[in-house]
Amino acid sequence: MEGDSTETNVKNPTNFTEPQGIIKNLFWNRQQKIAPYLFIAPFYLLFVVFMGYPLISSLVMSLYEMRGFQSRIFVGFGNFTDLFRDPIFWKSLRNTAYFAVGTLTLQLPIALLLAILLNSKYVKGKNFLRLAFFAPVLVAGVFVAIIFNLVYDQRAGLVNQEFVLFGKEIGWLNEENYVMPAVILTGVWQWAGFNMIYFLAGLQGIRQELYEAAAVDGANWWQAFVHITLPSLRPVIAFVVVVSMIGSLQLFDLPFILTNGGEPADAGSTIVMYLYKNGFQFMRLGYAATIGWVLFFIIAVISIVQLKLLGIFRDE
Amino acid sequence: MFRLPIDVEGFPLGKGPMVMLVLFLISTLFIFGRSEEQGEDLEFWIFANTHYEEYQPRVPIFEAQHPGVNVRLINFGGTMHDKLLAAMLSNFGAPDLVEVEITSIGRFLKGAIDEVGFVDLRPRLESEGWMDKLVVSRFTPWSYRGRIYGIPHDLHPVVLLYRDDLFKAAGVEMTAVETWDDFIAAGKKATRDLDGDGEVDQYAIVLDRRTESDYFSLLLQQGGGFFDEDGNVIIDSELAIETLEFFTALFNEHKIATPVYGTWHGDPSNFAAMQDGKILSILSPDWYVGILKSQVPQMSGKWKAIGMPAWYPGGRRTTTRGGTMVGITKQCENLDRAWELLKFTYFDRPGLINRYETTRIIPPLKSAWDAPVFREPDVYLGGQPLGELFIQLAPDLPPRYQNPYWSEAADLLNDAIFAAVTEKQTPRAALTDLAKKVRALMAKDMDRWGEM
Repeated sequence: MEGDSTETNVKNPTNFTEPQGIIKNLFWNRQQKIAPYLFIAPFYLLFVVFMGYPLISSLVMSLYEMRGFQSRIFVGFGNFTDLFRDPIFWKSLRNTAYFAVGTLTLQLPIALLLAILLNSKYVKGKNFLRLAFFAPVLVAGVFVAIIFNLVYDQRAGLVNQEFVLFGKEIGWLNEENYVMPAVILTGVWQWAGFNMIYFLAGLQGIRQELYEAAAVDGANWWQAFVHITLPSLRPVIAFVVVVSMIGSLQLFDLPFILTNGGEPADAGSTIVMYLYKNGFQFMRLGYAATIGWVLFFIIAVISIVQLKLLGIFRDE
Repeated sequence: MFRLPIDVEGFPLGKGPMVMLVLFLISTLFIFGRSEEQGEDLEFWIFANTHYEEYQPRVPIFEAQHPGVNVRLINFGGTMHDKLLAAMLSNFGAPDLVEVEITSIGRFLKGAIDEVGFVDLRPRLESEGWMDKLVVSRFTPWSYRGRIYGIPHDLHPVVLLYRDDLFKAAGVEMTAVETWDDFIAAGKKATRDLDGDGEVDQYAIVLDRRTESDYFSLLLQQGGGFFDEDGNVIIDSELAIETLEFFTALFNEHKIATPVYGTWHGDPSNFAAMQDGKILSILSPDWYVGILKSQVPQMSGKWKAIGMPAWYPGGRRTTTRGGTMVGITKQCENLDRAWELLKFTYFDRPGLINRYETTRIIPPLKSAWDAPVFREPDVYLGGQPLGELFIQLAPDLPPRYQNPYWSEAADLLNDAIFAAVTEKQTPRAALTDLAKKVRALMAKDMDRWGEM
C-alpha cells in the first residue's frame, strides 16, 4: 500500500539519493509533516487570493471614502452613520424586505403545493409538468425581466389585457405601489418551479409506511400532511427558506431591468441595486462597501435566526 | 467497426462525461489557440452595437494605411463602462481608445484633476485647428475644469416628430406651430376621445415622467441645466422651476400629454401605442429616428418633423439629448497612433456619411454637412429631407455642462420629476429639496477633501 511504502522509505532513507545541504535535510526529514499542508495549500491560496483578501479589503474600504481613482481618506464609521440617515437606503431595504416576505409567503407555499400535486399518483404527465415548471429557471434573469416588461405593460400587457383584476388598468411598473408586487410575481414565475424540485426530492424521501400507518389509525389527508409530511420535510424546508431568503436579500438583476434602475421614485430599488449604483455609477466605493457589509450582517442574522427557529441546530 | 484509440469504458465517469470533457478541451483550443498577431496593438472599446457595425468594416482600411498596426475593436455592450471603471481604478488593463456615454462620463471626472484617467485633448485639437471645425457647444459635455477629455461623436439635436395625418384629421396644421403656447393650443384640439367612451384615445404628446430625459431636454432648450459651467447647482433656479411647472401642466392641467408606455421611449409598448395612433408626437433626437426606422419600419411615411416649439417667438427650436465621446486613456502607450485612429473614426467624411445612412446621426464636423446625403428626402418621413432640418438646427445647439456629480444628481432628479407630475410635491418644493440634497452631498465631499 501507498502509505506503507512511504513509512518504509522514511525508515530506510538509504533508498533515496541523499539530499545535500541542511535546508534540504530539514525538508526531507519533515516532509511527512509538511506534505498534508502542501496538499491543502491550493485551496487556501485560492481562498486567500479570491475570498480572504477581498473580504478584508472591502472591510477596510468601508472605513474610507474614495475620491477619483487614486486618493482616499479615512472616515472611520462615517459611511455607516451616513448610511443609516440615507432615505434611499431605507427605501431599498424596505423594498428588499417586501420581496423577501413575498417570497416566503407566496413563492414557497406555491412551490410546496406544486411539489405535492406532482408527487400525487393521480397526476398524469409528471415528467413533462416537472420540466415545464422548472424551465423558467433556465431563462437568464435579464430576459425574464425584458419579457415581463411586456407582460406588465399598462395598456397592451398580458396581465391587464387578460386579467382585469381590479376593474381598472394597473400601472404595474408605473405606479409606486405596484412595482414590488410585480417583481414578486415575476419571482414566483421564475423560482417556484426550482424550489418545487427540492420539495419534490424531500417528499419522495418520506417513507410510505408512515402514511399507511396513519391511514390505519384513521388520520385524514390534512392530519397526515401536518403530522407526517411537514415534519419530515423540515430539513428541506429549512434549506429552501434560508437559501431563498439569501437570494431575496441579494435581489438585483430582475428589478434593475424591469424598472429601468429602480424607477419610478426608487420604488424598485433594492439594497444590492443601491450598492451597485453607489459603487459603479457614483464612484463612492467606500459607501458601496459599507452597504455590502451591512447587507452581510442582515443576511447573517436572519439566516441564523431562521436556522434556529427551524431547529437545524437541535441535536437529534 | 470504428474503435476509439482509448478505452472509453475505462473512463471513470462513463461515456457521457468523457464526450463532454473532449468537447470542452477542443473548444478551449479553438478559443485560446489563436495565434497572436504580430505588430503594435491599438485597443478600442465601445458599447453600442450600431457603432460596432459602423467601425468594424473600416478597421482594415485604417490598418492598410498604417502597416504594422492591429486595431482591436471590442464591443462590450452595456457593461463596458463598469469594465473601464475597474481598469482605471486598478491602473491596469484600460484600452487605448474608448467611447463613453454622456450620462456615464461624470463618474470618471471625480477627484483631483490630474487623477482623471483620460488624456486632455485640448492641445491637439487647438494646434491642429479642429475646434473651429466642430460645433463648439458640443465639447461642453466632455469638458471639465478647462480640459477636454473627449471628442463628440454626435450632436443629437432634438426635433418634434408628429403624425401629420392624425393632427390634420383634428384640424391642426403642425407646420404653423412655432411656440409651446401654439403647441398647447394645437394639442388640446388633437387630444381626443374618438369613440365617446369617456377615455382619451389619442394624446398630443408622449413624455417621460419617470426619468429626466424630456424635462431636462426642455430645460436645456432654454439654456438651463442642473449645473452651470463652474459646477454650481442651478436646478432650483426660477427657470428650472418654471420649466417643471410647464412640464407637469402638460399632464395635469392641459391634459395633452401621456406618460411613456413602458419604461422609456424606446420600449416596445411605446412603439405599439404609436402604431395604434395613441401618440401623436414625441420629442426626438436624431438617434431616436434611427431606432424608429429599425424597430417600427411599418410606420414609414407616417411621421413628419418640425423644430421643437420655441419658448418665445424666434427662440431656440432645438435641444440636445444623449451623446457619446471618444477619449484616449492615460494608459495608452502610443498617443500619436491613437490620435490617428480617433481622427479616422470621427473626422473622416466617408465614415460620417455612412454613419448618417445607418443611424441618422448628424456629425459634429461642420465640413461634412454639405454632403448630398443630408439633403436626400427621407422615405420614413414621407420624403421630408430630415438631415436638412437637423443641420439647420445644429449650430443653435445649447451647451450641456458636465459635472462629476451628474449620476447622483440625475438619479435624484428622476424622483423629483415623478413627485411633481404625480402631484406629491409642487415643482418648486421638489426642485428646492433636490438642490438641497445635491449641494449637501457636494459640501460633504468638500469638507472631506477641500477644494477639488
